[in-house]
Amino acid sequence: MNKFFRLYMPFTRAGIQSTLMYSINIIFFSLSELLYCFVMYYVWLAVFDASDGQNFMGFDMQDMVLYLFMTNVTAYLTMSQADSAIAEEIKDGSIAMRLLKPVDYHISILFKDIANPIILFFMVFLPMTVCVEIYRGVTAGMIMFQPLNCLLYLLSGIIAYLVSFYLNMCFGFLAFYVTNLWGVSMFKKILLKFLSGAAIPLAFMPAALKNILAFLPFSSLSYTPVMIYMGKYTGAELLLNVGLQVFWLIALIVLCKLIWNRAIRRLCVQGG
Amino acid sequence: MIEVEHLKKEFRKVVKEPGLKGSVKSLFKPKYETVAAVDDISFHVPKGEILGFIGPNGAGKSTVIKMLTGILTPTSGSCTINGKDPAADRKRYVKEIGVVFGQRTQLWWDLPLRETYGVLKEVYSVPDEKYQKRMELLNEVLELDDFIGSPVRTLSLGQRMRADIAASLLHSPKVLFLDEPTIGLDVVVKNNIRNAIMEINRTEKTTVILTTHDISDIELLCSRIVMVDKGHKVYDGSLDALKSKYGIMRELVFQPEIAENFSEKDFIGGLKLGGEDLTVGHENGKWRVRFNSEKIPVKDMLSYTLSHIEAKDISMREADVEEIIRRLYKEGVGV
Ligand SMILES: Nc1ncnc2c1ncn2[C@@H]1O[C@H](COP(=O)(O)OP(=O)(O)OP(=O)(O)O)[C@@H](O)[C@H]1O
Ligand SMILES: [Mg+2]
Repeated sequence: MNKFFRLYMPFTRAGIQSTLMYSINIIFFSLSELLYCFVMYYVWLAVFDASDGQNFMGFDMQDMVLYLFMTNVTAYLTMSQADSAIAEEIKDGSIAMRLLKPVDYHISILFKDIANPIILFFMVFLPMTVCVEIYRGVTAGMIMFQPLNCLLYLLSGIIAYLVSFYLNMCFGFLAFYVTNLWGVSMFKKILLKFLSGAAIPLAFMPAALKNILAFLPFSSLSYTPVMIYMGKYTGAELLLNVGLQVFWLIALIVLCKLIWNRAIRRLCVQGG
Repeated sequence: MIEVEHLKKEFRKVVKEPGLKGSVKSLFKPKYETVAAVDDISFHVPKGEILGFIGPNGAGKSTVIKMLTGILTPTSGSCTINGKDPAADRKRYVKEIGVVFGQRTQLWWDLPLRETYGVLKEVYSVPDEKYQKRMELLNEVLELDDFIGSPVRTLSLGQRMRADIAASLLHSPKVLFLDEPTIGLDVVVKNNIRNAIMEINRTEKTTVILTTHDISDIELLCSRIVMVDKGHKVYDGSLDALKSKYGIMRELVFQPEIAENFSEKDFIGGLKLGGEDLTVGHENGKWRVRFNSEKIPVKDMLSYTLSHIEAKDISMREADVEEIIRRLYKEGVGV
């Protein structure tokens, strides 16, 4: 185990260093995500005003703010760039350099990719959560922060990240067959936002659609951890949903290995 | 050590008709064509040998190296290195080899060079003490000191190549694959790199396979060469054997006593040779006549020249390896 981390930690270290080198990117990307949150905030404010109820399908405005900001932070944090990393490496042939090292392909990419959530955790998650909790505390007039929920959220969030990573890996392997993934990738991004409940809470959707989406792996990405944070999942429901996350994680790891074993034989290292 | 048997690699290519119409057509109904980049190549390399792998552009050299290093799966045939099958046994296999592709780097682009080596140390689990010694040696041969603190992306081509070669040698590999390690380098750096290769080969009995377009690499380093052309092996043997087998071109250099009296047309006319067998060039009043010594023996050529023109400074030169290889690439050879 120790050896394992000694072997793969350098990938994370290198990943963190190269990400920080372009930290201006993170700042602007984070700002655009924040801007999006505020736009959505005003949209939902209008919705709540129009429906002139305090409560909209089990969410009050305060919940909505929490949901909105937490979902976007979570989606942002668990966002994996594995697909574009793979696609890029295949396109320019630098995948060869990774294959020439005595390391496992997936794990080396994972440990590099993980640099992103680690940095974002400190740069985005912590300040954002503090702000949201202050907002909650001020509007409710008391401290609303639930340490246990937060802890469970982090656990579920880690699984969410891994699900997201393996989902993106599988998707990235498309690059073995399609030379340019960019268009497909944009489509995937928008679709994911909808399917994972990042655009509209799954709870607001028609029952049938909601049940299907809740079962699919996409709800594991941000919906489940956020519901846990908000305290909407407790007891059996919580176990069930985390169990579902674990199930999808295992399924995706298996799928990823299967695709890899087939795809590697098709690999054409370009250039030279 | 290295056994390559009937190695073959086919690529499937989309054949596109020219123009927009062709593009649209191939979008809906792509036509494929199979090309064999490497076709039935076999050779063996014993431990400690430096093998030069040469051939014209597009011959299939890089493709062979890619298969030997396990990053490309052969269509058929096999290669076994140290008893291991590169593609099947990748993770364990790559521990024993070092690879440099001249056109790309294995270094971490954003990290200072020193840290890349630190990463490689962990990846190959090189013990501290061995690492220290190794870095000292590589530093000495390849002169990395000047730029070891700079990020890799700021290095010049020659610096990067030296850094890459050092990286491939850090874990004391048993086999070293170099695909054009001297491409685009100045004389000093080339020399530096050749010395490093020779040093490692001499002291550690490292087997080396290198491809190059620089014939002096071959002359200085390789005891044996394998030449490929259009995916086929066309020559396998020592450089000396190649010289005596194909070194039939000679060069005659002379300076006519009175330049105005010399007529190139008359001179060539009497020889009744043409094409590749005879080429004539001149500069600074000196004439160079390259001729095929099988078609016209050196003795005859000399007496012909002496009887036809009045010249000072007549000299005869053996064709160098470059000449031989140029000729082989151009005409192809049957072996
Ligand atoms: N991924 C690929 N798809 C289709 N054809 C390819 C591919 N890679 C190589 N080829 C073809 O295979 C042949 C051999 O290429 P290779 O790169 O091995 O040549 P090379 O001997 O290294 O040449 P050079 O000296 O120019 O580097 C070429 O004709 C090339 O067009
Ligand atoms: Mg090449």
